[in-house]
Amino acid sequence: MEQMPVINGKEQHKILVRLLTYTKPHKKAIIFAFSLLLLTTIGDIVAPILVGKFIDDYLTPRNLAFEPLLILGAIYISIQIMNFFLSYLHLYKFQEIALKIIQRLRIDSFAKVQSLGLKYFDKTPAGGIVSRVTNDTEAILDMFISVLVTFIQGSFLLIGIFIAMFILNVQLAAFCLFILPLLFLIMYIYRKYSSIFYQDLRERLSQLNAKLSESLQGMAIIQVFRQEKRLRSEFEEINEKHYMAGMRNIKIEGLLLRPAIDLVYVFALIVVLSFFGISSFDHPVEIGVVFIFVSYLDRFFEPVNNIMQRLSMFQQAIVAASRVFKLMDETELAPAQNETVQNIINEGEIEFNNVSFSYDGRRDVLKNISFKAKPGETVALVGHTGSGKSSIINLMMRFYEFGRGDIMIDGKSIKDYSKGELRKKMGLVLQDPFLFYGTINDNIKLHNHAMTDDEIRAAAEFVQANRFIENLNDQYQHLVVERGAAFSSGQR
Amino acid sequence: MKVFLDLMWFFKQEKRSYLTGIILLLFVALLQLVPPKVVGIFVDHMKDGTLTQSILIYWLVTLVIVALLMYGLRYYWRIMIFGSAVKLSRLLRNRLYGHFTKMSQAFYQRKRVGDLMAHATNDLNAIQQTAGSGVLTLVDSLATGGFVVIAMATTISWKLTLIALLPMPLMAILTSWYGSLLHKRFHKAQESFSELNDKTQESVSGIKVIKTFGQEKEELEAFTSKTNEVVKKNVSVVKVDALYDPTISVIAGISYFLSIVFGARFVIAGEMTIGELVSFTTYLSLLIWPMLAFGWLFNIVERGRASYDRISSILNEEIDIDNNKDALDNVPSGNITYSIESFSYPSTTAPVLKNIHFTLNKGETLGIVGKTGSGKTTLLKLLLREFDGEHIYFGGRALAGYQLDELRKAFGYVPQEHFLFSATIAENISFAKGICTIEEIYHAAKLAAIHEDIKVFTDGYETVVGERGVSLSGGQKQRISIARALILNPEVLLLDDSLSAVDAKTEETILSSLRKERAGKTTVITAHRLSAIQHANQILVLDEGQIIQRGTHEELMNQSGWYKNMYLRQQLEQLVEHGG
Repeated sequence: MEQMPVINGKEQHKILVRLLTYTKPHKKAIIFAFSLLLLTTIGDIVAPILVGKFIDDYLTPRNLAFEPLLILGAIYISIQIMNFFLSYLHLYKFQEIALKIIQRLRIDSFAKVQSLGLKYFDKTPAGGIVSRVTNDTEAILDMFISVLVTFIQGSFLLIGIFIAMFILNVQLAAFCLFILPLLFLIMYIYRKYSSIFYQDLRERLSQLNAKLSESLQGMAIIQVFRQEKRLRSEFEEINEKHYMAGMRNIKIEGLLLRPAIDLVYVFALIVVLSFFGISSFDHPVEIGVVFIFVSYLDRFFEPVNNIMQRLSMFQQAIVAASRVFKLMDETELAPAQNETVQNIINEGEIEFNNVSFSYDGRRDVLKNISFKAKPGETVALVGHTGSGKSSIINLMMRFYEFGRGDIMIDGKSIKDYSKGELRKKMGLVLQDPFLFYGTINDNIKLHNHAMTDDEIRAAAEFVQANRFIENLNDQYQHLVVERGAAFSSGQR
Repeated sequence: MKVFLDLMWFFKQEKRSYLTGIILLLFVALLQLVPPKVVGIFVDHMKDGTLTQSILIYWLVTLVIVALLMYGLRYYWRIMIFGSAVKLSRLLRNRLYGHFTKMSQAFYQRKRVGDLMAHATNDLNAIQQTAGSGVLTLVDSLATGGFVVIAMATTISWKLTLIALLPMPLMAILTSWYGSLLHKRFHKAQESFSELNDKTQESVSGIKVIKTFGQEKEELEAFTSKTNEVVKKNVSVVKVDALYDPTISVIAGISYFLSIVFGARFVIAGEMTIGELVSFTTYLSLLIWPMLAFGWLFNIVERGRASYDRISSILNEEIDIDNNKDALDNVPSGNITYSIESFSYPSTTAPVLKNIHFTLNKGETLGIVGKTGSGKTTLLKLLLREFDGEHIYFGGRALAGYQLDELRKAFGYVPQEHFLFSATIAENISFAKGICTIEEIYHAAKLAAIHEDIKVFTDGYETVVGERGVSLSGGQKQRISIARALILNPEVLLLDDSLSAVDAKTEETILSSLRKERAGKTTVITAHRLSAIQHANQILVLDEGQIIQRGTHEELMNQSGWYKNMYLRQQLEQLVEHGG
């Protein structure tokens, strides 16, 4: 099972900072988007003030002078329309930036994967690596789009509202500050529990999926050995645990998310109303100001709700980011070549010189191997399984770095040839057949776009695959299904 | 909305939860009307200077009670409605898994594992959404919207209500239009993401091939162009998606504006009070959510319907290999007779087997050899009823004449492609047996000549293997799968090219212990290396799905043909291997 790493606050902070370094190339665009956001927020805050002014200066004294009202109305409507464009632009900009950041992250992590040595692939399941590059980065994207943007947008609005409140009525605004610690408390409790419950849920889900995926792959075995019933009950057990985890999450969300925030809203409303109510015992209150406060409270809590709802996403994104960065910091690199030397393989004489090698660093698979293959010779390696035949090939192909000794080609160390030169001059048929999704043609060519149809046919004839390929209806354009499942293993 | 009808069976099953949840929701919608009303009352009292301490306390206490009630009710409807939705996904997931275990191999040939996984995760998720948020949104938006409009029209002013609502339909129209635009674009974005996923998957699984051919740079380029595609498709989603919020706020703003302008006239005309106007605008803000919700609802329901259709179509997929009505419920035994005119796989037309007629006597060993793709594996799969439809008799009765479970009890199968589960070696060996003693496991492992290998591992038989465990060599995996079949001591043992990854010496060890252990029991071996079947009572040579030679080793060696040629060639190789 993939363990969910436990990430403490300090590491979280580090990961976030590292993520934010990806925003650097987009500095200008981000500043632009922020300015738009600032303007939108100002518009949002000014609009209720206009209405309040109208109520106090014109409606209450019943003085509906035409001209000033026209101006007031015109300002109100233009703010609304301006805000439409401004907020569209900033929403668009922010998301576009986020998409580009994630693209960079994906390309970087994919490039890293390509540079890793086979040792890394031996110890890491393929599914995990794929998730790092696609799903985990997707989770980070969600965070950039919904968490950061919502958070920033929300904070702008909250700060703006408080500034406006303080300008309008310092005393009441100070009273309203009580909302903040209350909200932080709820947020704190929610984060504390949800991070536990939510991670639990994710873990259950990944267990569920692992079980399902393995069962689907091994279904033939399960059926032939008649273990359907047992596996069904095993699956049901995991499913049940997943259900329980789901219910726990619903409960915690029900207790601490929207219902709790709405509770705080009514309490804030009570504070505002009692303040104005009590002061109305002494002197008349400006109804417009009451209106402004009430409508601010109305708007105040929507961003809070949004932020709260996305907290778990944030948590998830940080976990995802930590996994992606772990991949990027992986040190199990492919064996390095001395690319500066322009050596060329002419003869193809290969010599193993006292080569020793171990996969795990403990047990030597190859011990002091020495032999020489002259140009034009065919060398056969025989021996029982596990005797090291494939290992010799693996070293020659530079899949793994050997420990001691050296491999010489044409008298020079194999390390002194560029990667390109080695690949160009050495061919290999792998033990585990693997076909890519695509047509047979694509599989033989494999990015070698210059290859002509005749060359493809020749290659196929060489391995005697042409007969069976030509038996297929669409011949070389036949679509290979997943891992070549429809072909027998020799045909691959 | 058809999906709600499709899900009716579940709603009926969870009648109590849903009804309770809906009633609670209605109460919440009603209680929501109180705070804005109280604000209006306060405003009027303050304006007229008629607010007294007792009025103040009365209404504040009311607000506190309403707030606490809403909190409680909101919590409980979530448990009721969202809880039921989680229950639904649990139920469907179990059903789906159960169904997967009953589907024949023909099904798995047609479907990609990745797609099936996607159904079990994404589609179930969408259905859960429908049964949870979908129901909530439908009920809540209707209730809140309805109650608020009624409250505005009856307690404040129906004229102002009409005016304020004028721009609202525009919001519904625009958001649903965005929704339909988004739908297509979103689909394309999803597609590009899954292409990216496939590309990555392929690169990682094929890393050895890539490195062999030095294609790292080309892979990175291909990947980059996929990510460009992802960005492009997502930006086109964003272009529409970013319209939602601004549209809603501009239309809400206009509606606000209209109600203030006309409300003010009504106030001056004495038709309503300022307090009522303030209540009215607060009510208006309560209306935005139901309007939006309808847009979401269509989205959720749309996705839910598509997902439910996909899940149903899988669940309705016929179980093509099943028990006949008159199937015997005992384990078959006796001679096995093949009488195949022609067999081809369900998805293809070209026959894989033609004119296969032979009988394998009980207790004998059958060897099947031939080139790759000649039909050896297919021959075995038919016996296991992984595929159906041909005339094969076991103990004088057609295979379909036995219950599937009983039929398969007769076999121990070692497939060509060794698959181990993510579990300990001991658990993998005892896979088919369930509970058994450690001695039985040792015995099977010794027969398969893997016991010594396992003992060397740090954790011995408790070593975890499979995708997330240690990596074993091909030969080790093969021998563990042999042990897995042998532990059953089956009536018929099927070895499908199961000794290909072990060396000649180990092969001989395994074969000779099999001959001893399985004296009097039927064994079928397919192989490339003829030494594996040399001792068989009967050998079939297949080529392009037909039997081209048959007989014992001695008989075949006396004929000229594929068998003799191959045997001599392999002898030569053997000679080379031992250094002459």
